[in-house]
Amino acid sequence: MDKASCPEKPTKGWRRIWLPGPEVFSILPKAARLPLVLIALTSILSLLYAVSCFAGSPLRLQVTSAVQDIAVSPSASLLAAAVQDGTVRLWNSDDWTMRTLAGPGSPVLRVGFTPDGQTLVGVCADGTILLWDVPSGRVIQTLPEGEPVRDASLSADGTLLAVLGESGIVRLWDVAWGAVFREIPAGEAPRKAVALNADGTLLAVGEGKRILLLEVEGSRPPRVLQGYWRNAAAQEGWEGHTGEVIALAFSPDGRLLASGGSDTLLIFWDLEDGTVAGTTEAHWAPVVRVAFNWDGTYFLSGSQDAKALNGRPASQTVINYEGHLGTVTGVAFGHEPTVLYTAGDDGTVRSWETVNRSQTHMEWTRVGLAPLWGEIFAWWMFGSGILGLVFLWAMGRMRGWGHLMAMGLYLLGILLMLVPILTAFLLPLVGIRSYTLPWPLGLQVTWPLIVVALWYGGLIALLTREPVALCYEAPQGLPLAEQLMAVRRTQRLRFGIFVAAVWLTILLVLYSVLKGFNLNVPFMGHFFEFIMTGAGITLWLSAASISLAVVLALIGALGRLSHNPVLNGIAGFYVSLIRGTPLLVQLYIWYLGLPRLNITLPAELAGVLALGVNYGAYMTEIFRAGIQAIGKGQHEAAQALGMTATQTFRRIVLPQAFRIVIPPIGNEFIAMMKDSALVSVFSVWELTYRAQKIGRQYFRSIETFLIAAAFYWVLTVVFQFLQGKLEEYMARSERR
Amino acid sequence: MAEPIIKVRGLHKYFGPLHVIRGVDLDVMPGEVVVIIGPSGGGKSTFLRCLNLLEQPSAGTIEIEEIRIEADRPPSTYRHYIRPLRMRVGMVFQHFNLFPHMTALENIIEAPITVKKMPREEAVAKAEQLLEWVGLSAKRDEYPSRLSGGQQQRVAIARALAMEPKIMLFDEPTSALDPELIAEVIEVMERLANEGMTMVVVTHEIHFARDVADRVIFMDSGQWAEMGPPEEIFTRPKEERTRQFLSHILRGEQAARK
Repeated sequence: MDKASCPEKPTKGWRRIWLPGPEVFSILPKAARLPLVLIALTSILSLLYAVSCFAGSPLRLQVTSAVQDIAVSPSASLLAAAVQDGTVRLWNSDDWTMRTLAGPGSPVLRVGFTPDGQTLVGVCADGTILLWDVPSGRVIQTLPEGEPVRDASLSADGTLLAVLGESGIVRLWDVAWGAVFREIPAGEAPRKAVALNADGTLLAVGEGKRILLLEVEGSRPPRVLQGYWRNAAAQEGWEGHTGEVIALAFSPDGRLLASGGSDTLLIFWDLEDGTVAGTTEAHWAPVVRVAFNWDGTYFLSGSQDAKALNGRPASQTVINYEGHLGTVTGVAFGHEPTVLYTAGDDGTVRSWETVNRSQTHMEWTRVGLAPLWGEIFAWWMFGSGILGLVFLWAMGRMRGWGHLMAMGLYLLGILLMLVPILTAFLLPLVGIRSYTLPWPLGLQVTWPLIVVALWYGGLIALLTREPVALCYEAPQGLPLAEQLMAVRRTQRLRFGIFVAAVWLTILLVLYSVLKGFNLNVPFMGHFFEFIMTGAGITLWLSAASISLAVVLALIGALGRLSHNPVLNGIAGFYVSLIRGTPLLVQLYIWYLGLPRLNITLPAELAGVLALGVNYGAYMTEIFRAGIQAIGKGQHEAAQALGMTATQTFRRIVLPQAFRIVIPPIGNEFIAMMKDSALVSVFSVWELTYRAQKIGRQYFRSIETFLIAAAFYWVLTVVFQFLQGKLEEYMARSERR
Repeated sequence: MAEPIIKVRGLHKYFGPLHVIRGVDLDVMPGEVVVIIGPSGGGKSTFLRCLNLLEQPSAGTIEIEEIRIEADRPPSTYRHYIRPLRMRVGMVFQHFNLFPHMTALENIIEAPITVKKMPREEAVAKAEQLLEWVGLSAKRDEYPSRLSGGQQQRVAIARALAMEPKIMLFDEPTSALDPELIAEVIEVMERLANEGMTMVVVTHEIHFARDVADRVIFMDSGQWAEMGPPEEIFTRPKEERTRQFLSHILRGEQAARK
């Protein structure tokens, strides 16, 4: 490498604070000029792109928008979705062609068709009520309501609209007249749900944990459904909600009322006598939507647990429809009895088929990446543009850190781009389907990212070229030795950065593959804390077991080294027996054997005993080797000083042996943390048992075991680190 | 005339069929410095280790002050005399055998505290005095791995002296040292001899033997081959074996000087 071609630092001067002037540029070697030009170009383009995105240009990567509600037209040929972005999408249910009905911009909360299918009624979150002419797609009427809306319900004949405002006031609209004909004042508790029955005579309002039933036309005081004790005397068997009522629906014949609560319960009320006809507990998160089919023989419910349930009202047998990645916010029955429609805040509308219980179609509210990606991309471009200019300035001043940071910046950019590229494009190519998009669409959506990632890759390749790197990173005008040291330092740093990048890339690929498992992320979030609690138990189980094992191993090692045949025999037998049988079998023997001797131990204690005894046997050999490794000279020196054999062992041999056995004990501890998973056979609430339990209960074992695996990994990484620190401390007498 | 402090009669030691010490007698007066020289494998170290029972003699008697070990009788009869005997006899090893997990100071106070039950403050004060005496006050809190061989051996001497022994045994104390470090250890040993310590030293350091020893013993094949004042042994050796050995040693030393 010809160092002579590298320029001296630019001379001082106020002008140098800004970009390098042309004279600096001209003395740079050619190899160092190109990256400067390219970084400047990249930064300026990035900034231009970001600014245009913030200004709302169509260049912005398209994203999905959450669906709030769906409705099926009376002829069943159209499916309408109320979308967060303030539009309504209309799909033809035969060929899934889509139309967009534009609105004023406020998120559309509820939609419904009039019985003739010609008019679509939509209620926006800000209270505006819109009527669209379906064939033309034009807004024919706008009714300003003036208060943010919580829930709304359109009667089946399309004449009545009940709108529940934030304040708790329910306004009843005559749709044809476009006027409010009755206002029901707010109640004592917050109201979250409202529903009209099929013929528009009865109104149900969810108020706190109670449901009020009011006559639309009459003025009799409301009937209240608030639940009751099945055994009133003993206060046993509560029938009713224990949390707020957030979803309501009447059956078409008006005999049943379904209510979903934040207590995760779905309750069917018999309206003739006000009793509970049945309760479904199959949701594990608040139930936000519920609907009946045309004759009231089936219901369909959606919940924050990302699944839809279908079944007969009040029957215990329900079928799960899983696939949504967030709350199922809209549910509807198709015209054919075997077709179900659901929509979710993941921005998808899906159709399901009840015979095979499988998803038959999925539509996105927009063609695009997963929510947020457009936003992230725009902000990245903005940030990287500015940072790029900063690093450009540093490089122009011949500062090594600018060069390094620029490499890091673009490396980070590649990793960032890699996530959607992997999930939407690359993994589907090898047959791993993530939820995002089918294959050809993946390329359509990710090509801008691919271009940016390749561009960044080229920049990095250029910046890491040796002539370029040396030019920036070896400080000019210093002694050669210092220059060489700087070069070596940066080489080490660069090596570290690339190793970290490889780790991150593997993690990203892993993450993308896991997405192909179609994981229920809200479910994982919901039970994360519950499983996490198990980590503490795993930790103390392992800590207690390793303590026991250390004591046993020490005694065992002394026995093995003893010249007393009894002690030696006992220790030898212990090691042989325990090392000769599988840990799982031993666990079962402890668990099932002890009760036969009328010794019942708490499961945790039995687990600690089994693990401790097992690991004690293995560690006996470690301790024996450690003790034997202490030389004869140490014994002699101690004895020559008049120390007894016990004193010699305790004061001289043991401390030295411990230092030798600490690393292997650390390994054993890490191994034990993972073997403690076997204690789940005792029903001890540690990580694995919790994962197993929840996984089995909701048929989501992959999710729960992944959480458990992550915790084991984190624990071992932490302990490897601590072990390293401990070894460093123990080795302090060997430092030179 | 005073009583001898060490009295050995008819000492024999077998390692299996190997007859290592073949009937040796020795009387050492209080304050006397006895140096044992001789070819390796001659039983010098074994004899020294027999003196404080690190090796069990096979036959003969050892008397140190009022403690009498009769090796002809079963070991159980004298077992409880071993520790009192060792507390009167300090030993310095060829490979120092410092405790690597303890600092210099801790090495020295260990035995007084655990064996003599001396209060810690007293032991520390004494240890500091000893460290100063061997010239290592600055290395008080260093671990042995950070000391040179000569420094380690001086700490080892201080460690043995901390038990306030009547007799010091030195088992080739300078053999494991680099030549330039030997002097500092020899210097300490000389001072110890001048202060009137009874010493039995196994060494190849002819100069030490000539300058410090009261008596030199040439040991070969498990027996005293020759015994006498240093000037006699080194200038007019009677035995052919002694003469040969000395000429080997002196030639080696001259070679080392060059």
